[in-house]
Amino acid sequence: MKFKQILAVLSVGCLMLSCKQEVEEPKQFTLLKNDRTGIDFKNEVTSTSEFNILEFLYFYNGGGVSIGDINNDGLEDIFFTSNQSANKLYLNKGNFQFEDITDEAGVAGSSNWSTGSTMADVNGDGWLDIYVSAVGDYKVAKGKNELFINQGDGTFLESGESYGLDYIGFSTQAAFFDYDKDGDLDMYLLNHAVKNAEVFKPSVNRKKADPDGDKIFESLLAQGEKRFIDATSKTGIYSSNLGFGLGLAISDINNDNWPDIYISNDFTENDYLYINNQDGTFSEELEQRIQHTSRYSMGNVIADINNDQSMDIVTTDMLPSDPKIWRKSLGEDKSEVFQTKKRFGYNDQYVRNTLQMNLGNGQFGDISLITESFATDWSWSPLIFDMDNDGLQDLHISNGIYKRPNDLDFINYVTSNTEANNSAKEIQAQQIRDLPTLKIPNYAGINKGSMSLVESAKKLGLDQPSYSNGSAYADLDNDGDLDLVLNNTNQEAFIYENKADSVNGFLKVQLKGPELNPFGVGAKVYVNGQLRENHNTRGFQSSVSYRLHFGLGATNQPINVKVQWPNGAIQNVEADGNQLVVINYSGSGKSENLEEVEASKILRLEESPLDYTHRENDFNDFDNEYLIPRKYSTEGPALAIGDVNGDGLDDAYVGGAINQPGQLWIQNVDGTFKKRITPNFDQLARAEDTDAAFFDADKDGDLDLYVVSGGNEYATTQIFSFDRLFLNDGQGNFRFSPGALRQIGGQGKVVTHADIDNDGDQDLFVGLNTVARAYGTQPTHHLLINPGNGNYVSQPNQISLKKDMGMINDAQWTDLDNDGDLDLLFTGEWNGIRFLENKGNGQLEEVGLSGLEFASGLWYSLEVVDVNNDGFLDVIAGNIGLNTKLKASTDEPVRLYLGDFDKNGQTDPIVFHYQEGKETPFASRDELIKQVSIFKKLHSNYLDYSGLSSAEELLGNTADIDVKEVNKLSSTVFINKGDKTFESIKLPIEAQLSNISDIVAEDINGDDVLDLVLLGNDFSYRNDYGKIDAKPITTLLGNGDGSFNYLNDTHLNTAESWGEYRKGEVITIGDQRFILALRNNDTPSLISLN
Amino acid sequence: MKRNFLILSLFSLLFVACDSGEKSITIPADVYHQSMDKLSDVIVHDIFSPPVASRIYAYPSIAMYEILAQNNAEYKTLSGQLTELESIPTPEEEVSYELAALEAFLILGQKLIFSEDRIESYKTELYTELQTGVNKSYFNASLVYGQQVADHIWAWADKDNYKQTRTYPKFTVTDDPTRWQPTPPGYFEAIEPHWTQIRPFAIDSSTQFVPERPTAFDMNPKSQFYKELMEVYTVGNTLNEEQKEIASFWDCNPYVMNQTGHIMGSTKKITPGGHWIGIIKIACQKTESNPMKSAEAYALTSIALADAFISCWDEKFRSNLIRPETLINEHIDEEWVPLLQTPPFPEYTSGHSVISNAAAVALTSIFGDDFAFDDTTEEKYGLPVRSFTSFVDASEEAAISRLYGGIHYMPAIENGVTQGRALGNYLVNKIELRNESLAQSKD
Repeated sequence: MKFKQILAVLSVGCLMLSCKQEVEEPKQFTLLKNDRTGIDFKNEVTSTSEFNILEFLYFYNGGGVSIGDINNDGLEDIFFTSNQSANKLYLNKGNFQFEDITDEAGVAGSSNWSTGSTMADVNGDGWLDIYVSAVGDYKVAKGKNELFINQGDGTFLESGESYGLDYIGFSTQAAFFDYDKDGDLDMYLLNHAVKNAEVFKPSVNRKKADPDGDKIFESLLAQGEKRFIDATSKTGIYSSNLGFGLGLAISDINNDNWPDIYISNDFTENDYLYINNQDGTFSEELEQRIQHTSRYSMGNVIADINNDQSMDIVTTDMLPSDPKIWRKSLGEDKSEVFQTKKRFGYNDQYVRNTLQMNLGNGQFGDISLITESFATDWSWSPLIFDMDNDGLQDLHISNGIYKRPNDLDFINYVTSNTEANNSAKEIQAQQIRDLPTLKIPNYAGINKGSMSLVESAKKLGLDQPSYSNGSAYADLDNDGDLDLVLNNTNQEAFIYENKADSVNGFLKVQLKGPELNPFGVGAKVYVNGQLRENHNTRGFQSSVSYRLHFGLGATNQPINVKVQWPNGAIQNVEADGNQLVVINYSGSGKSENLEEVEASKILRLEESPLDYTHRENDFNDFDNEYLIPRKYSTEGPALAIGDVNGDGLDDAYVGGAINQPGQLWIQNVDGTFKKRITPNFDQLARAEDTDAAFFDADKDGDLDLYVVSGGNEYATTQIFSFDRLFLNDGQGNFRFSPGALRQIGGQGKVVTHADIDNDGDQDLFVGLNTVARAYGTQPTHHLLINPGNGNYVSQPNQISLKKDMGMINDAQWTDLDNDGDLDLLFTGEWNGIRFLENKGNGQLEEVGLSGLEFASGLWYSLEVVDVNNDGFLDVIAGNIGLNTKLKASTDEPVRLYLGDFDKNGQTDPIVFHYQEGKETPFASRDELIKQVSIFKKLHSNYLDYSGLSSAEELLGNTADIDVKEVNKLSSTVFINKGDKTFESIKLPIEAQLSNISDIVAEDINGDDVLDLVLLGNDFSYRNDYGKIDAKPITTLLGNGDGSFNYLNDTHLNTAESWGEYRKGEVITIGDQRFILALRNNDTPSLISLN
Repeated sequence: MKRNFLILSLFSLLFVACDSGEKSITIPADVYHQSMDKLSDVIVHDIFSPPVASRIYAYPSIAMYEILAQNNAEYKTLSGQLTELESIPTPEEEVSYELAALEAFLILGQKLIFSEDRIESYKTELYTELQTGVNKSYFNASLVYGQQVADHIWAWADKDNYKQTRTYPKFTVTDDPTRWQPTPPGYFEAIEPHWTQIRPFAIDSSTQFVPERPTAFDMNPKSQFYKELMEVYTVGNTLNEEQKEIASFWDCNPYVMNQTGHIMGSTKKITPGGHWIGIIKIACQKTESNPMKSAEAYALTSIALADAFISCWDEKFRSNLIRPETLINEHIDEEWVPLLQTPPFPEYTSGHSVISNAAAVALTSIFGDDFAFDDTTEEKYGLPVRSFTSFVDASEEAAISRLYGGIHYMPAIENGVTQGRALGNYLVNKIELRNESLAQSKD
């Protein structure tokens, strides 16, 4: 009775509870408990005094997951590796019921430190085998890699030795693929080193083979033998002890239908991108194709995330996204460490994830910053799959580490506080105890198209805190959506059931490949503009099912499925959606070339006619100003184009950096160019040219040359910091005119000329960007009124400029207000787009333009043209772009605080930005302290600092210091409505991947509407900002209404044309028009316009 | 002793904050030693580099000395003897010079370090003990006077160019094969490249004791330089137990980075200067020196240490010589790691050699040249006690330890010893601490 009452009460309570719960929206993913699934797997890792994180650096890397149908019953089965205990195989009984068949199957394994696993049909009998990697013979870790051959009856026979794959070493993971296209599956074995992870050795050491290095094993199945031989040395891959291999992916990166290899290496060593030479060898080409990688690269995945039929690459790292965690975690390499690594021959690596977007030609631009997928904390396994069947593949990243070694308090304080007289073992034990733990949710980004990933872990129900390592997806319940499995450390594995909205259809494709490759490994399948490659080693220590999954969106049309087999043969199949189609290799498909990318034929890269290479000198601005976001010693080259010798042909002046003379190239009638010897240029070689202009300064009817000096090295009063005017003798012979200018020193950036006082001669504006050793403070710009003879020193009617014009990167004289005189439009970093109205006589007065009030940016460039043919001049403004760590809006601007916080006579530039809604210093605490040591007094440790709540807490009262605010980072068109009001239109996302250093507006397709060629990239940033390198050249077609559409420009962005562009100008050579585009520290590029 | 003190304190609790208490206070010398230890602890915690630490020891020590010397006819002021130091103010009321000296010491120490709360809480606890039974206004007046002197010394310290040097350029690493470059495993930037511009305390200028030129860089295996490089390598590979012990004993690296894979940690120790500050305490306690004599030892030795760092750093960033570890890894043995972690600044001359020998000369001038002692300074960092027959004996061992440690070539040690001694001798001759007539009559 009583019992019943209690029950009743309980059930009422339950009802109420469930009512309450129903208020919460049901989430797309449900974490299924072990009583539902029968999966109670947990990768339990026990630290002992013999074997622990200090004895073995990868003690908390965790285990892997492999999914595949091992008994060919149509249901996907799951295999987990356990570091220290038996690995487990769970047979799928349907309806999310699984049965542990490890013991019957004989796949528990004998190693006591297992790592990754891969399912593949190694012997080509149509049954999936399992290969398990392990750490063998290291301290207490005993074991070897094992190959479990599926007997077809639910049992497996360990056959590593007979197959020659019983490798003993430090293996992370294997991938099976047919690299030599002999029809059988060969194996790449990813291994890692264990010692001296962060002691830099010259990178040439990667050429020294080491027994512990990566390996390629060649299968002899096609040759009639069931065994593998070590083919490492003949394939040409690196197999050294520099590699800390944690990520392995096979993919056709360059669309030649041969499998290439991407390897992510933890620590110092570069990642590797091996391009298949189609002859059994590989060439490592990462540095030609990828500009920077993750620093501590962990797992990786390759897939086509943007449906452009070329394969993109995601690598993971460990940058936290939560500012509180970030502030107390070890971050980016200090500047000097970064430089040291480069001197040892390593590439640029940043502590963050990368999402390398394939431009279609095997050249990559990292879009992790614009997609905000760069910071997912201590990350392991990235997976790209379509979670919601909308046809756009999403990104999931597992993360978390059981003991967190990058905690700065631990590094600087905790470890040193151990009792002095303890034994080494006691100290070790205490340190391990003291390592902080932090359980965090995994990352899930929903792809919304247009390079937008929306973090949705919580919304999707994927936000349970965990220490997750390996992961794999598969449709476990055959309901048409992909479920997710994660292997966790010291926590039960996660089995997430996906209940994707059935509005969206799906198609699953199972390939039956040729003999010896029954699962069709290496085939490509195209559906509705989507591409899947049939390679299953993905993420981290894991492999996914060979069943390929496509989301179809809301379509219910019959679908064309196109398969390209590894031998190139194409098969087309029509299929209805919402089913699994099995496609058998027919052996009859014709081979065709699928790599065609729609390329604009209007613009072509041609060979530069100038035998000139800009040579930047080595100078490190950060030695003088530690916290400035970027350096200003690499602003060149300068470029000016004009006919200097009156023969009707365009000639060019190209500037030099310090110790490189500028060069004048005279065009010959045959379209070639000849360098004109100009002694004065050589004599002034120590000046650095940042801009140049041809105009008639002395009114003698020829073009004279003004050259702006910069370089950020010399004092403002040093002779080589002065701008220079060269007078033309009419034949293109230039003579330095030392008396013509007063001493215009400083960091000049732009010169623009016009007759602003209507007296028939050319007046000048010279804008400067930074102030040497006082970044952000007001530079002295120059307005030079021409007395008529080009002798700018004697200025009859001196016009003074405003003092608060800020940093200037570009300026243009233009009649923006249609009143018949030329006004000055200028912009720059930490500045707006600003307008000085000419009062008719050259007197300038700043006037606010409606629509430009909230346009404070990190601007680089301006172009004033009429983009919508309405008779009013519009403004195209090049900004830093959106693919940067900085994010800005009017509500959450980026701020530059300028003050002498330690009263030592130097202005300290402190940049704050918003992270997850909180204003936080961009620099780490350690870096801030290097600039302003008293900041260290404000907080007793990093934990205390991590709670920083405002800029004032760090900087004191900010009321009396100079604060600059930036609220717009996108490159934008401002449409002139004619009444001093402007309407802004953001340039397309493709134009926001890099900064825009220069803009060329031309009608490139002959529709009488201006189109744009945008030049960018800027490698001058400190390594914590990271160099801007995602894309150098972008083309946009004008629509006539002020908006622009992206025009495929892949063919313009090649390994040869990559670089950091500074200037581009139209030049006519013969009767053809081109853009001559100059890169810093490189050769010019020539782009034909018609 | 301590127990009595406690009982006394308990008893006096009744009279706390009482205006009627005594207008006298006795502060045993150990309180000053203990305060100096506290300062060392915070320097270690806050990770100050050796030259900066030497500056942190010097100013508080000078303040302490100047106040006590005011009240002791045997001792002379340092004003007029140290560059730009003017006479400290005199008290306006009746004060305890001993308390004022302690107060000035702690105020300046607190200003110079980062973790101010650590000194603050120490002081609070200490003063609670000290003020019992003492006349309140007398106690407070002493603190006020201590503060005045601290302000005076701080104003002087503030003009030593330390602040300005914070804004000077970092050391530029180039491809020059002879030039210093960052060393594993931390690859830290070069510490204090402009320390030569710090105002010296008593030497004429940072360039007064420029050592001989280092051996010319030459990677020809027959060259003298190469031989000296190989000596570091060979000695490092054949160290006996005692040599290892000597190297570790004098490591004195404030921040040794330990790295295993992703796990990074640090071992923090006192600086070379801090080690000698510890030896001063040992010498004072062995001789049962009173606060005045202790202050004398601290002041003179900390000046010697600070000027020795200025002199040494001047040479380091003149020669900018590359460390043996870099060359050995590049040319001889890629895997070679020195016993001690290479500290982050150029090689020539050896800092420990210069400063230890300067300090030894200073201490010898106070305590004599046959002063045997057991050096327990490193015990709290888990290292054993070592015994020395004299300060010079210790300083010579400190010098040669750098060869055993694999971080210096022999000339940096030998010429560093010469540099340090010359500097030390100059200082003890120049600085007059005692009124000779009075001192002699007492001794």
